[in-house]
Amino acid sequence: MHEISLVQAMLQQLSDLAVQNKATKVIKITMKIGLQSGVVADSFRFGFDVLSGNDDLVKGAELVIIETPAAFRCTQCDHTVTALARPDCCPKCQETFLIPEGGDELILQQVEME
Amino acid sequence: MCDTCGCPSPSDHDHDHHSHTSPKTVDVHTSLLAANDALAKLNREHFETMGAVAINLISSPGSGKTTLLEHTIEQLGGGIRIGVIEGDIETERDADRIRAKGVPVIQLTTGGACHLDAAMTHKGLHLLEKEPGGDAIDLLFIENVGNLVCPATFDLGEHKRVVLVSVPEGPDKPAKYPKAFTSSDVFLITKTDLLPYFDFPVPEARAEALHLNPKLTVMDFSSKTGAGFEAWLQYLRDLVKQAKER
Repeated sequence: MHEISLVQAMLQQLSDLAVQNKATKVIKITMKIGLQSGVVADSFRFGFDVLSGNDDLVKGAELVIIETPAAFRCTQCDHTVTALARPDCCPKCQETFLIPEGGDELILQQVEME
Repeated sequence: MCDTCGCPSPSDHDHDHHSHTSPKTVDVHTSLLAANDALAKLNREHFETMGAVAINLISSPGSGKTTLLEHTIEQLGGGIRIGVIEGDIETERDADRIRAKGVPVIQLTTGGACHLDAAMTHKGLHLLEKEPGGDAIDLLFIENVGNLVCPATFDLGEHKRVVLVSVPEGPDKPAKYPKAFTSSDVFLITKTDLLPYFDFPVPEARAEALHLNPKLTVMDFSSKTGAGFEAWLQYLRDLVKQAKER
């Protein structure tokens, strides 16, 4: 559950952004989480629900998570599939060993506040 | 409640809604790891000022990280001064084992966190410098919390990341936990003295890991019997030598 630490990092960034923008309330947060970021979106949301409840700035804010895909390259035929979930095997040759590439984003994309 | 803007004033009021702060949308595009990565960079500079090479050890619990360190401390020689930062959720046990070998060590207990981060490492480094001999180190090992998932996300400022898998764990760990292997520099297969009792095809495990990350240096050995251990010791001696020459 390193997602809790990452939610704490996000709350810190939101607090800094609120000061910079003279805002007192965060309304909506958009996060981009890559399939290969090592972060489970549901766990991140769970961590957000728990921690934001004690944070006046963020309490009640909407969290939008955009899950971004990764590419999976087949080690046999080199065919590449871009997907939001790891495919069981290569659709062309059924090889099961696929190398993930990219999709490691963990980005605070946009914040709406007032 | 005001129907126009949702403010807590009564609905028959007559206030100027333009005086409310209007919502503002800010495009941020910042990684959540930005603060960690900035601190990791400072740690790396700090290690280099000390003249030390830093190694982050990652594995599941029980793969043999602490045993690896015990044998490394005993056998490395060559006047190489070793220091250790131990990370665990609870207890001083690992630090006690390392301290018994006579090298400076401090224990970080994360109190529940499943990984070390750059801030904890920074704190550990300053504590280590207060230990006898802790300010004169050539080779610093940071033993991460036993976990093959979470530590892979956090740069501590290390120069080399080393991932361990022991023979009883099975050869499929690289395929199942790719991030630990794609983010590492070295892959150690440990407890090879147990190969007769487990189905662990070493060449296949090596090949799978190298498929994921062709830059990996792969070694297999038994810390206990010493078989294959010299390659690891030589790797460390070369690292320290390169660091002294930079």
